[in-house]
Amino acid sequence: MLANVGVGENSLERDIVDYALDLARSKKVEYAEARAQSTNHDELVIKNGTLDAFLSTIDSGFCVRILADGGLGFASTNKWTKDEAKEIVDTAYKFAKIAGRKDRITFADEKGVETKWSVEQKEKIEDIPPEKKIDELMEVDKTLSSQEVKVPGRIMGASINLIEKYFVNSEGSIISSFVPKIGVFAFITVVENGKPEQAYKQFGRSGGWEAFNEWKVAEALLHDAKALQKLIKEGKAVKPGKMDLVCGTEVTGIASHESCGHPIEADRILGREMSQAGRSFIYLGGPYWIGTRIGNDKVTIVDDPTVKNSYGYYEYDDEGIKARRRYLYKNGIINEFLQNRETAAKLGTRSNGSSRSISYDREAIVRMANTFLLPGDWTEEEIIEDVKYGIYMKSFTEWNIDDRRFNQRYVGREASLIENGELKHPVARPVIETSTKNWWSAVDAISKEVGYDAATCGKGDPMQGVPVYTGGPVIRLKEVYVK
Amino acid sequence: MSEILAKTEAIAKKGKALGADEVIAKTIFGRYRQTRFSNNQIDITVAWNDYVTDVALAWNKRLVATQIRNFQNTDRIMEQLFNLAKVSKENPMYGGIAKGTFKYPKPNADKKLQELENPSAYVIEAIEAAKKEAGTEINAGGILFTKYEDVYLVSSEGPAGQDARSAIELSIRVFSQRDASGHSVECCSTLKDFKPFRAGEKGGKIAELAKNPKQGEEGKYDLIFDPLFFGSMLGTWGGMASAYSVMIQLSVFVNKLGQKVASDAVTLRDKPAEYSVNNRAFDDEGFPIQENAFIENGVLKTYLHNTSTAKIFKTKTTGNAGLVQPTPWNIEMDSGDLSKDELFGEVKRGLYLTNTWYTRFQNYATGDFSTLPRDGIFLIENGEIKQSWKDLRLSDNILRLLSQITGISKERQHVHWWLEAEPPSLSPYVLAKDIQMTRPK
Repeated sequence: MLANVGVGENSLERDIVDYALDLARSKKVEYAEARAQSTNHDELVIKNGTLDAFLSTIDSGFCVRILADGGLGFASTNKWTKDEAKEIVDTAYKFAKIAGRKDRITFADEKGVETKWSVEQKEKIEDIPPEKKIDELMEVDKTLSSQEVKVPGRIMGASINLIEKYFVNSEGSIISSFVPKIGVFAFITVVENGKPEQAYKQFGRSGGWEAFNEWKVAEALLHDAKALQKLIKEGKAVKPGKMDLVCGTEVTGIASHESCGHPIEADRILGREMSQAGRSFIYLGGPYWIGTRIGNDKVTIVDDPTVKNSYGYYEYDDEGIKARRRYLYKNGIINEFLQNRETAAKLGTRSNGSSRSISYDREAIVRMANTFLLPGDWTEEEIIEDVKYGIYMKSFTEWNIDDRRFNQRYVGREASLIENGELKHPVARPVIETSTKNWWSAVDAISKEVGYDAATCGKGDPMQGVPVYTGGPVIRLKEVYVK
Repeated sequence: MSEILAKTEAIAKKGKALGADEVIAKTIFGRYRQTRFSNNQIDITVAWNDYVTDVALAWNKRLVATQIRNFQNTDRIMEQLFNLAKVSKENPMYGGIAKGTFKYPKPNADKKLQELENPSAYVIEAIEAAKKEAGTEINAGGILFTKYEDVYLVSSEGPAGQDARSAIELSIRVFSQRDASGHSVECCSTLKDFKPFRAGEKGGKIAELAKNPKQGEEGKYDLIFDPLFFGSMLGTWGGMASAYSVMIQLSVFVNKLGQKVASDAVTLRDKPAEYSVNNRAFDDEGFPIQENAFIENGVLKTYLHNTSTAKIFKTKTTGNAGLVQPTPWNIEMDSGDLSKDELFGEVKRGLYLTNTWYTRFQNYATGDFSTLPRDGIFLIENGEIKQSWKDLRLSDNILRLLSQITGISKERQHVHWWLEAEPPSLSPYVLAKDIQMTRPK
């Protein structure tokens, strides 16, 4: 059974995409590609126990990107006609030619690839009727609202996508892919003694509906609700000062994403995102570059699109480059940037398959996939037992980082005091505000188990929120300032 | 009636014929163009043409929605949508959509913004203006964006109308040194008022002043906010005024109607006026847009509503319907009676903050938050800019910030930038007293 409204009405018309590429190649171009995408999208939102709305749609269209005279042009449409294909090819070509750059854009060399890839589903999303999607999400809300903990504010939603892509370029690449992707988010407000506390949680995966039950969403949200209730009842402020800070996997993950993944994006390093997402503390001629120490030698952070069934999973990127694990910080040293073909050419290297686009109408740019710190040899219990005085920040609420990705702040949501190796009372919103170098240099213990959290990474103009995992083990930061 | 309006009406009629209680169909033919630049050069120019009809359909208080992009077989899509409504769940809060027929003003969109002859010329004009202020060695980046939308809306409950919406925006960030920058925007609904050099000039001036920044000092300061920075705050308060945000506790305004939430100096309105890059004649229910003063002289007067949320709060729609939830369009802060220079003269020791990003909350209900000033941060002493600072964070409470406002300039600027100053606003220079700034350790 096909659940989506519009099914059968829109699909990828490959002959039109091929036609667009042929038209582009017939012009004086250095490079051309055509990329089509069709997304069957279901989205439902449940607000305080009632289904607000059910959106079901299909969005499909195609784009061309042309490199001509050292300039880039891009145009897209959702109208599947040859006339429209001609119009967007002409537009993209015209835009490439008017760039008038002093230094010409080039792409790092690659050979054409012909392949197909897909992600398997145990429970096919196409077979799940809409009423089951609604019922299962409603059940989560019911569980949450029927407990002794008061959760007067509850909003949760599911975003279910079947994404089909078709990519061809002037170097002979022909790549087809199919990825089912499912995401759930929840934002809850717990009130106790008239005081509110809030938590946001996100789940995501590439694969079938089986993920929904594997996540145990209700259990996870109930845990958060109870932790917030306990925080309101028993939470005490932290006495500001230097202490050990043990970070849960969620906190390790966000720090890996923000202060390693983002500053290592080559387009940011080269300035292409300077007026939006910003630049990087890493730049040519600056104090940090490949080979510079940025953290303790225990610290190795990777970005890996090939983690099976991950939210950021892909086998080929949106420039047709094969995906692989990238070692960003290796043993505390800046090791490798995330590259697309344009940045790789500028930096004299090869693309490492980091080019992603959220839709047919958005340019592919350098993005993370799944960014996480590699495990160490401690257990979580050993780390806590080894702390004389400190804080265990299991999860976070407010966070932010400057646009060089150096000055960052994380505020604990579920946090406890540690005294003589034992967890004590909850701590109300402990804050660490420090630099990237201080953070990764202070890591002196890393647990064996890596945990992942789904997130939507924001970058690009117009904004392209791409699905990613953030992750890592439990870590200890030795003697850092917490307030 | 135009052909597209007739097709849009046919979609709404089909939904009704299938048995739906209410149907809205809104067709947008959008032409969007963007030139991105960095390192003083154009990186890429992009175009995207979007042809879409948004449909919302209600049956027995079950609300479902879709977007039609293939117009060959709209009947079949409407049948699928109606079938989805039948298996969906009742939303007891659903209160219908706007009823009646309305007259809308004639659209004022600028057809020149359907396709600019040479968009790169505007970019170069802005970069050259920045160079005049901060020298030829600057590094500038940003975007030039144009929008032209033909909009057709038909509701089964009466509203039917046509609108055209245009906009041109330039955003430029100028680096005079690696850690010294200025950012400015130029936003208009038509080409005739668009002066890209103004953005370049202001960005260049701030970048020049920001040279050789010193590490900022933690503490409480009187702050002067540039319109670009304050546009970000106005957007936050506008979002929190949506009745939807109130219902899910994503707001500091919960249970505060009729109460003092800001200093007397503060009046905030939602008004998608002609000048705005988000201007429009009607909301997504076809209800005519209106001016809504949601904070008047410091008192919270209303939330922003669609028909459903208005019923829940026992009031009338404010013309803020999005497809599912109410949304702010364009926030205006009433101007004060001081010039910008007079406002600076009010500050004995404080900071001038020119831009910000990454505003995040510990708790939306209480308003505890932080935001990261970027670009020029300046120490002010006795009304004069004395020094350029860096690496400070505004860490306070957003409700408290409203109550600490003591001065507002006469000058206002229409600002919109990326996700940070969103929705667009008409924003003045603002003085707020005694606000906490922190720094990394």
